[in-house]
Amino acid sequence: MSRLLTYAQAINEALRQSMELCEDVVVLGQLVDYKSGIFGTTTGLVDRFGPDRVQDFPVSENLMTATAMGASLTGLRPVIVHQRLDFMLYSLDAITNWLALWRFKSNGHSNMPVTIRAIVGKRWGQGPQHSKSLHAWFAHLPGIRVAVPATADDVKGLLMESIFGETPAIFVEGRTLFSMTAHVPEQPYRVRFGQATIRRPGKDVTLVAIGVIVPLALRAAAALDKQGIDVEVLDPRTLSPLDVNTLCESVGKTRRLIVADHGWTSFGAAAEIIARIAEILGDNLRARPVRFCLPDSHTPMSMALEDQYYASDADLVSAIQKMF
Amino acid sequence: MATEPAVKSIQLSHRTITLIGRYQEMEIDLLDRQTLLFLFRQMLRLRRMEEALMQEYHPADEMRCPMHFCIGQEAVPAALSLLVEPEDYLFSHHRSHGYYFAKGSPLRELFAEVYGKETGANGGKAGSQDISHHASRFYSGAILSGAVSIAVGAAFGLQIRKSRNISIAGFGEGATDEGAFWEAANYAGLRRLPILFVCENNRYATYSDQLKRQPNDNICERVVTFGVRTRRIFGNDVVKAYLTLREEMARVRGGEGPGLVEAYTYRWNSHVGPEDDNVNNYRPASEIQFWKENCPIRLLQEKLEAAGYLDSQTLGRMEREIAAEIAANFQFAKESPFPSAGDWRAMNWDDSSPLADRLLGAQSRSEFDQSQPEARLEPY
Repeated sequence: MSRLLTYAQAINEALRQSMELCEDVVVLGQLVDYKSGIFGTTTGLVDRFGPDRVQDFPVSENLMTATAMGASLTGLRPVIVHQRLDFMLYSLDAITNWLALWRFKSNGHSNMPVTIRAIVGKRWGQGPQHSKSLHAWFAHLPGIRVAVPATADDVKGLLMESIFGETPAIFVEGRTLFSMTAHVPEQPYRVRFGQATIRRPGKDVTLVAIGVIVPLALRAAAALDKQGIDVEVLDPRTLSPLDVNTLCESVGKTRRLIVADHGWTSFGAAAEIIARIAEILGDNLRARPVRFCLPDSHTPMSMALEDQYYASDADLVSAIQKMF
Repeated sequence: MATEPAVKSIQLSHRTITLIGRYQEMEIDLLDRQTLLFLFRQMLRLRRMEEALMQEYHPADEMRCPMHFCIGQEAVPAALSLLVEPEDYLFSHHRSHGYYFAKGSPLRELFAEVYGKETGANGGKAGSQDISHHASRFYSGAILSGAVSIAVGAAFGLQIRKSRNISIAGFGEGATDEGAFWEAANYAGLRRLPILFVCENNRYATYSDQLKRQPNDNICERVVTFGVRTRRIFGNDVVKAYLTLREEMARVRGGEGPGLVEAYTYRWNSHVGPEDDNVNNYRPASEIQFWKENCPIRLLQEKLEAAGYLDSQTLGRMEREIAAEIAANFQFAKESPFPSAGDWRAMNWDDSSPLADRLLGAQSRSEFDQSQPEARLEPY
């Protein structure tokens, strides 16, 4: 049984069902216990599960991450949330020096099943400190899983998979996806890490769309269909681990690759995906691979500049046309 | 009759401490003979272990990892070793050997670890400054207050789970330079977490004097404003350390909220490794001399001998047992095989998910409507 839920409602349902299934699941974050509930994603949880399991937290991002880590050693399965990813950067020590390498340096004796949600703003003047999507940074780290769910059904399944998994995960959630709906199964379910999905099959070009860029990619593919270009849209769903097999199958068929990412161009996720494919299928491509990313610039506030900073459907259509 | 000390230890700070001269305030009458001898033996074990590791470190060069020895700082770990419970959590900084020892983690696995062997506590992946022993709930790390923060997290978990166990964070005064420490103190006080902060103030962060880094030598005064009880002691008095820690651990365990014990102590050796780092000229010879004269082992030994609790025969037997233990640990480490790398992914990620396998069904694919508009953000 599935029904239409928004992305935000699906997150809320994933948290609620996880907390029902297992009393070790706790949710920490600034303002998680207020009615507005992090854009609706935690609304109502404190009423249901009480203030021990749903806790507001001081504006101490590093400590919040470390608290989740230490708590996980006692058997808890904490979920922490940052209203904006930019605040999470105070916890880079906890993440990079401790969480990522905890399993490694314990020689596999100790895991920290911690789930970190980080929300990325876009447009309406979010500017350079409310809109950074640093998924590529985190995907660079061994020992961390990175999810970039684009749809309501994926975010629910991936969150539950992470909460009940054994390896820490960072969720980069695009704020502009929060009102978008999809059919979400009612019962608890999992979406596995490292399993891409083909959102639209096609034969002429593989368009890898990462996270928040998926709706734009699908619209561009529909537009190109009318021009006789059959685009396959591949959503990797997680960057770490990355589903290289599905990527290779798709590009092996289309022999053209463009990667659309909501991150800066240089040293980013798109570069990594193209490099992977180039190493395996480089000799078989019919066109040079293309990165379709944000400019190497911080985000401007002005709506006029935002329109130039963020690509439009037409920009992506045009980039793909040039590959033929 | 002991002569009156120039300055009572109640006025402790690293500026005044050397005025004490010879420390006279140890009160062995407060403890029974058995406890005193156990404390003495634990300090001696730790001292001899560190000396042996230093001796073997160079020129053999078989232990190839940074090692921060704790000679001179044996009193607090020895006291802790009698008080900490197996189910308590203990977190340490990079000068980890004393705390590893205090938690009762297997010493031969520490030896094998610093030799980089497969049988090491962490299979040779961590070494001295990052060693952990999960089964005995001991963890350490080199990025100072990071470990203190995680200790607070363990205390949070214990509180949520309504456990009677506690979390203990061992660190130096250097860790209190970092903002993370103050986030930890704030949260521990706010939630009255079951954590004991144990600050071994040895005055120097590597070579840098506390007063080059902080306006005052008054960590306790600052911490107490967060609602954390504080105690300040002469950290080489193992009787005082034991009694203070016993009292504070009982209060934390009893639900009275977090506490901090600041123990003034001193490392005899260089910051790292067995070589002398006095070339940096960062501490006066008179200061080093003061602390060596107030060696925690010697202070207790003299009292024990005066009380007739320890004779040369007992001491000799103790030394022989400790030497044999150390020799066996070295032999174990040296004879153990080196690890082979195997699967790099499995070392870093655990891809198993037994709980998810049990609780979650598979995803049934559903369609995504691409024609719907994206969310338009609002000011908040």
